[in-house]
Amino acid sequence: MVVGDVTTAVDVLILGAGPAGYAAAIRAAQLGRKVTLVEPGPVGGTCLNRGCIPLKALLEASERYARTGIEELAQFGISAETVSFDWSKMQAWKQGVIERLSNGVRRLLTGNQVELVQGIGWFLNEKEVRVEGEHGSLRFAFEHCVIATGAGAPLLPTDVLTPEQALKLDTLPEQVTIAGNDYIALELATALARLGVTVELAVPGERLLPEVEPAAVRLLQTGLRKLKIRVKTGVVVEQLKARPLVVCKEVRPATAGLRLDVAGVQVDEQGGIKVDSMMRTSNPAVYAVGDCLGSHALAAVALKQGKVAAEVLSGMRVQFAPMVVPQVVQGWPELAAAGLTAEAATRAGYQVKTGRFPLAANGRALTLGADLGAVFVVADAEHETVLGGTVVGPRAADLLASLTLAIEMGATLTDLTEILYAHPALSEAVLEGAENALARAIHVLNKP
Amino acid sequence: MQEFKLPDLGEGMQEAEIRRWLVQPGELVKLDQPMVEVETDKAVVEIPSPVSARVVAIHVPEGQVAKVGTPLLSFEGNVTKTSNVKQVAPETPAPPVATQSSSVSAKTVLAAPAVRKRAFELHIDLAQVPSSQPNGRITMPDLEAYLQRKSAEPALNGAAQLKEEAEEKRQPLTGLRRQIAERMERSWRTIPHATAFGELDGSALVGLRQELKPLAEERGVRLTYLPLLVKLLIPVLKEFPIFNATLDEERREIIYKRSFHIGIAADTQEGLMVPVLRNADTLSVIQIAQKLEDLVARAQKRALALQEVSGSTFTLNNVGSFGGSNGVPIINYPEAAILAVGRLQEQPVVCNGAIEIRPMMQLALSFDHRLIDGALAGRFLERFKQMVEKPQQLLLDLV
Repeated sequence: MVVGDVTTAVDVLILGAGPAGYAAAIRAAQLGRKVTLVEPGPVGGTCLNRGCIPLKALLEASERYARTGIEELAQFGISAETVSFDWSKMQAWKQGVIERLSNGVRRLLTGNQVELVQGIGWFLNEKEVRVEGEHGSLRFAFEHCVIATGAGAPLLPTDVLTPEQALKLDTLPEQVTIAGNDYIALELATALARLGVTVELAVPGERLLPEVEPAAVRLLQTGLRKLKIRVKTGVVVEQLKARPLVVCKEVRPATAGLRLDVAGVQVDEQGGIKVDSMMRTSNPAVYAVGDCLGSHALAAVALKQGKVAAEVLSGMRVQFAPMVVPQVVQGWPELAAAGLTAEAATRAGYQVKTGRFPLAANGRALTLGADLGAVFVVADAEHETVLGGTVVGPRAADLLASLTLAIEMGATLTDLTEILYAHPALSEAVLEGAENALARAIHVLNKP
Repeated sequence: MQEFKLPDLGEGMQEAEIRRWLVQPGELVKLDQPMVEVETDKAVVEIPSPVSARVVAIHVPEGQVAKVGTPLLSFEGNVTKTSNVKQVAPETPAPPVATQSSSVSAKTVLAAPAVRKRAFELHIDLAQVPSSQPNGRITMPDLEAYLQRKSAEPALNGAAQLKEEAEEKRQPLTGLRRQIAERMERSWRTIPHATAFGELDGSALVGLRQELKPLAEERGVRLTYLPLLVKLLIPVLKEFPIFNATLDEERREIIYKRSFHIGIAADTQEGLMVPVLRNADTLSVIQIAQKLEDLVARAQKRALALQEVSGSTFTLNNVGSFGGSNGVPIINYPEAAILAVGRLQEQPVVCNGAIEIRPMMQLALSFDHRLIDGALAGRFLERFKQMVEKPQQLLLDLV
């Protein structure tokens, strides 16, 4: 007990200012709640400061550089003398993006009258949290608490790098081994390879991205070969001797220091907080959202869950129940997928109807100089309801949005083929993918 | 997890009421172990488990009506063995098992995100909402219509609650009662009913039965008047085929039935049931008596298969067996007519200028006036009366 300990009563106390936490804070404030947001570091969490945003910034910078390659430019009739890059300036630009975004989130929080408290919080009991920070030790009694403490990298040997560390190396290594079988490993490999690093991708398991449509993975592999990335499957990560080694492993829920036991909040064996679809924990006053649940570790999921928790604690009856969670791998080409693959749909008991359209037959793709890619559409054969989609190619994540919408709306292949698509546009590949499933695509030979 | 859906139990059945759960969540069920008792159109059927597995959840509570294809319960993870669902009631085809991985929520309910959001908000299980779309998709108007119907019920109950305690008791119309109500409504609403009355002298019938009764008993059959009446009815139906017909309302065509499936109204603890004596024209009196005894006994136990309670072409209602002297029957839709026969009662009758005591039987023939006119109904009744009063006529046409 700290001497002179004063308990401050707060309405909504949120632990963690990552996408889940800040979305919850802003949404709760919109609904008229008084929000106190506790975060030890800068706002924005892993995604903004250490994960997606720095990685995507680096991907963009490296792609721009790679696109100025002499061979790459020559196909457009452009010749260049020399193009070079400065790693430290690239890092500085990346940092600039992060700071700009982080400041943006901070301004949004202030604008919504969210009180930001810097520090680390943990539970004292079912109704109270202690926060240790730069302003000393504070004790809060909350009406509602939202846990959004995220996840962290698992413990690794000291001579092994996490993806976070790899993103801010002082100097660029000549070669690197990246172990992992997720979007982070592939994106990191892509970014570094485009900057001239010799990359070996060590994949645990037999198949690269086993959950993804195999034909789409093959397109991605073609891209990896073009970048001269060596892919080795069936690797035992612990036995890798190569250094430098970056290990991309599933993150672990950051719940250990929260003293959830005294709060009456139940966790699973991996430390993930157990919640229902309304994001409620076993303590009726406590909610949990985002990576600390140990399920998806995707910012898209975290943002939505944050909003759901805020609405539920404000008395609304809503739930987190998307039919599909879009997955993106920003490789070269980019890959994005949502819903069931043909294989998964068959396993789930569907008779499937599939369509496929290669970007090589799409006018816009050719004018972009990017013909490596395709759209895959999976539908239920009986009603032709769209069940899944995979897009490989430039702006795949954006193209996927129409397929995600189709799946969520319960749209059919005919729904997709009855609407008009701008021409010439990449989105026409979605149209022709659906048309191909109905054996009526114009710009490709349909299977009999 | 695997879901078990209400299978089609045959005869175009579309829904069934969940009468009783024989298993509980958490329980380990064996292959073919009865899981649930459902009540279809007019039969109670036990559905056995298609697998050996643990029951995780029950989705439809007792007393609720579920449509074919509605998930009834979920089994846990790896199920060991599957087989086809078998029905306890005999002679009905074994329907296929409808199981599916629950990871694909899309397959169970098709609805736009906004509809799903609204349903959750309103505590509505979308699986219970009937769809207006050909592919089963639930639209916002579907949801609203369902909500209106649903909210109308509790509102009624709510308003009635206070009164109920004082002077009335409310009970939902369920099961057999609900089906009887629906059928009667349908018949009464669609068919313009008319009824012809008659009366017959049962002396000969009484005499005939008295003679045959001990003979039938020797064969182990208890002979009542009903088998005799059925036997005497058949030639009349053959003579007046419009009484063994039905109107195809859509195509405006009369369908004359070549088979004679006689529905026999029977009183059971839970209400009226009409077991069907199929191809009655091909059965002897003894066979009719045996079949009837079996059908009625099983009707009491609610153990009839669907085809034993549907498909009749004409219905005979022995109101006498319920203790009535007579009554106006409602046609068993979509048949053309129904004959009610009353109890044999001794009454004074004038015979050749003298008053005699005779066992008289009242007749009431309700008919579809779209197909049959009063004169024809009168002739039908007259012919039936002749048959019953002189049952030996049967011999004339005997092959």
